[in-house]
Amino acid sequence: MEILSFLARRIAQGLVIVFLVSGLIFTLLRVVPGDPVRLMAGGMAPEALINEIATKMGLRDPIPIQFMRYMGHVVRGDLGESFVRPANGASTGGSSFDDSTRGARAKVLDLIGETLPMTLQLAGVAVAMALVISALIGIPGGLAPGRWPDRLAFYVSSVFISLPNFWLGIVLTLLLSVKLGWLPAIGYGGFAYTLLPAFVLAVELSPVLIRTLTGSLASIMQEPFIAVGAVRGLSRRRIIANHALRNASVPLLNLLGVQFSGLLGGVLIVEYIFDYPGLGLLTINAVLQRDFPLIQGIAIVTSAIFVFINIAVDLAATMIDPRLEY
Amino acid sequence: MSAVDVVAFTATPKRSGSSISQRIWRLAVSSTEFRIGLVVFVLLALAAAIYPEASGIDPTHMNVRARLLEPLFIGDHWSIAHPLGTDQIGRDMLVRCLVGLRYSFLIGVATVALMLAVGCALGMLAGYYGGMVDTLIMRITDAQLSIPMIILAIAVLGVSRPTIPAIILVLGLSSWPVYARVMRSVVMNERGREYVRAAQIMGASNLRIMVGLIAPLVIPPVIFVSVLDIARMMIFESVLGFIGLGVQPPTPTFGNIIADGRKYLLDAWWIATMPGVFLCLTLTSINLMGASLERARHRIFGGLA
Repeated sequence: MEILSFLARRIAQGLVIVFLVSGLIFTLLRVVPGDPVRLMAGGMAPEALINEIATKMGLRDPIPIQFMRYMGHVVRGDLGESFVRPANGASTGGSSFDDSTRGARAKVLDLIGETLPMTLQLAGVAVAMALVISALIGIPGGLAPGRWPDRLAFYVSSVFISLPNFWLGIVLTLLLSVKLGWLPAIGYGGFAYTLLPAFVLAVELSPVLIRTLTGSLASIMQEPFIAVGAVRGLSRRRIIANHALRNASVPLLNLLGVQFSGLLGGVLIVEYIFDYPGLGLLTINAVLQRDFPLIQGIAIVTSAIFVFINIAVDLAATMIDPRLEY
Repeated sequence: MSAVDVVAFTATPKRSGSSISQRIWRLAVSSTEFRIGLVVFVLLALAAAIYPEASGIDPTHMNVRARLLEPLFIGDHWSIAHPLGTDQIGRDMLVRCLVGLRYSFLIGVATVALMLAVGCALGMLAGYYGGMVDTLIMRITDAQLSIPMIILAIAVLGVSRPTIPAIILVLGLSSWPVYARVMRSVVMNERGREYVRAAQIMGASNLRIMVGLIAPLVIPPVIFVSVLDIARMMIFESVLGFIGLGVQPPTPTFGNIIADGRKYLLDAWWIATMPGVFLCLTLTSINLMGASLERARHRIFGGLA
């Protein structure tokens, strides 16, 4: 029962966050200069036509009214249609304004639905890699505070956090893909194409994980229950695996939840570099094309995922450490 | 800034003779890691401050006869006048990287100053007054933390002209929430202490208590943490430059040089690689110093690690 009221409360809070994010993005997009209708209709369209289209689409109404109308559709599960993308592929932006070959415009929900799984795959592999890297470097560091594994962890995390993701992506592509031919890099044609972008993301994610793991593990090793474990005759390996790491994983888990939006920012750039057909690439293109409905849809979906992941993280944390309250 | 940090931050500091911030500073400076970072940083800063003018080379000067020179001693097509080689239109790579470093660092520092100012002010208000003010400010930070700042930055800079003040404003205004949260939790902790209550009883105004009493105590450790954010903002600046939304060419920045060099990657690897090496060295030196400060703060505050 307790868990149900926890879920209800968190979901309610989450809805408020999603609503605020939508409002923020919606207002921001309309306040900054730049007319999307100009992009849709093409550069040569007469002013009168642009005004006509804009009025027909409701883009000349006051922002709060536009926002309420939009949210009314969102509640019914309709995220609207892209301004520039047709349902059948190529972008319509820039073509002449009276081009009759332009078909129906793509649904925002479909566009997100096509790209989201790709990005989840990339993010999943990246998080797995980051956890492996952090464990390999962070656990020895946490077990030997002040000695060389600890210092190594400190230096590795300082260097990793200093590698700009786009530059690392370019250099690794040049080395591993072009010169050595070990891994494919650009575009997508199978799972192997995920590895290089995921590694770049993992390098970006791991410094904070390494530091948290090292710090929390070092302090947990000072706890009485670790010393008592040895008295109880447990092997060191068992103490570390079952007791120390289990406790150290809670702050790590919380961190993963918090880092989600950072991961998303990284995904954006990495997908752009590697031309990986995911949500990040879609976002960059949507922003550059002033595709309002698409940007808003992506913002709503990502903030909903953010809320969901943080609820899941809190649930998982209470399962690992029952002392935590909902 | 994780939950762990916040806990460590609010833990009661062990009081002693010298101020907490002085002790954090001294502990950090005494570490090898900090000193390595400092030496590398000072060398790079001196080079960036002196070399471009001293060498008399204009970073935008084109020289077609000296195009695509390789870096010194690599390959057989290099010149002593251009130690790191030249790009596709004969501009000197070393000078371009160093000028890029200037822009990157100055934008990073200005951005962090802005986000510190906004974040600390709002966090102070939320923590001191609590109630509605707190709820409002915290919900805004929640919302803003759930949108990747890079999307915000691209959305705004994509349509307005990316000038230096615009870049500083966008980066600064999209990353203050972390500071607001930390400040809030520290201030909430201070609010109940005797000295604050004593000042209230003596009739000090709220503004005076916040600015005169609490701020000097809690802000210095926050500034130490912000060193790490200078590096983070420098990365964001370079990302923006890379996707064409940073300081515009011909002004060289790390981002736009790398974006440029990417087109010539197969024939001239150094154009995209060299600025990255400079950026990475600078960031590592700043991060070593920042992380040492952070670690010292953890130890002094008696938190984790």
